[in-house]
Amino acid sequence: MNSTGVTAVDRDLANCHVCCKLSSTTMHFCPRCGSTLHLRTTNSLQRTLALLITASILYIPANLYPIMVTEHTGGTTVSTIMGGVVVLVQIGSIPIAAVIFIASVVVPMAKITAMFYLVWSVSRRVKEGRRQRTKLYVIAEFIGKWSMIDVFVVAILVALVQLKGLLAFYPGIAAYSFSGVVLVTMVAAESFDPRLMWDQIKNNHHGS
Amino acid sequence: MSELIACHGCDLLVDISDLEDNCRANCPRCGHYLTRFQHDAMNRVLAYTIAAIILLALACSFPFLSFSAGGIESVMTLPGAPGSLILYGMPTLGALVAAFIIIIPVMVILLMVLVSAPLLLGLRAPWLRIAARGLFTLQTWSMVEVFIIAVIVSLVKIASLATVVLGISFWAYAAFSICFTLALATLDRYQCWEMIEALDTAK
Repeated sequence: MNSTGVTAVDRDLANCHVCCKLSSTTMHFCPRCGSTLHLRTTNSLQRTLALLITASILYIPANLYPIMVTEHTGGTTVSTIMGGVVVLVQIGSIPIAAVIFIASVVVPMAKITAMFYLVWSVSRRVKEGRRQRTKLYVIAEFIGKWSMIDVFVVAILVALVQLKGLLAFYPGIAAYSFSGVVLVTMVAAESFDPRLMWDQIKNNHHGS
Repeated sequence: MSELIACHGCDLLVDISDLEDNCRANCPRCGHYLTRFQHDAMNRVLAYTIAAIILLALACSFPFLSFSAGGIESVMTLPGAPGSLILYGMPTLGALVAAFIIIIPVMVILLMVLVSAPLLLGLRAPWLRIAARGLFTLQTWSMVEVFIIAVIVSLVKIASLATVVLGISFWAYAAFSICFTLALATLDRYQCWEMIEALDTAK
């Protein structure tokens, strides 16, 4: 394995995002798989930023509204995401509380923050730590879907426990907003093009 | 002869012509994964895929979890989880969950058969390219491994309220998720498309 020292763009080649074939930048469709070719994801920064803002807004109702409604002999109780974590801590299930806390609170917040930082670093043409930032992007892209745990838990409990009058679970409105957060951040990660961080090496060189 | 691949992380052109069997290549500049070569990759993919199909069929036909409290018993099946959301006023969310844990994984698995079988047999199947495109687009959206963790979390959450037993389906689905993940990890995007192209240009 040897680096050629040049990028695909330097040789006027576009890298197909579906099948990895290199084609001339004059072509519009990949000759191998038929996908649309583009040198870089179109409007990558604007799209990522717009989606990140959407996700941040959705994150508010996702935490304020109940994700699950519990009906028991004493009436009904509603629980938010954080409420669920607190209950788990109280009944002593620290590891499970940690899983939910990490998946539903730490992961989405870390992912949104990391993506905001990446967009900012590209727009400010930050030179340092390109390798680390690429790594950060790969991690952010990977962890996103794990936030769905809480929504799946709601689906499972609603399906499993339906003892009318005794104990029954129903989904709460935050399940919608929270799945929205997960979906939108996943699309945001797909819209971000990490190559933009590296393109600036060439641009800076030409500028100086 | 050189074989060039452009890094998806930083666009660097890397010559991978000397990549040996069972070795993976990462970008020397940004560290991003490039490709991995295994001479028998398609064999493995098809084997994992067939195992996954059998396991998923099992997972859909038996109780997933059963729950009993005060003499009342209820069971949940795998399609029942998204089904309940549809039943209790959240059809969109139900459809989404069904897509993530059943529909997309099933489609990915079927597309894997449609791609790996012709490549193994050297058949120039007309659907090869379209199936491979669908496969690589859909694979990001499957959440089988996330669902497994969610089942374990649910179990602990209600363990204090009642007796919960894991059904045959749970174990089948857990095994399915392992085979499914292995199949996805073995199927390398770059190598797969190189094989498709080689098949089409061969006489």
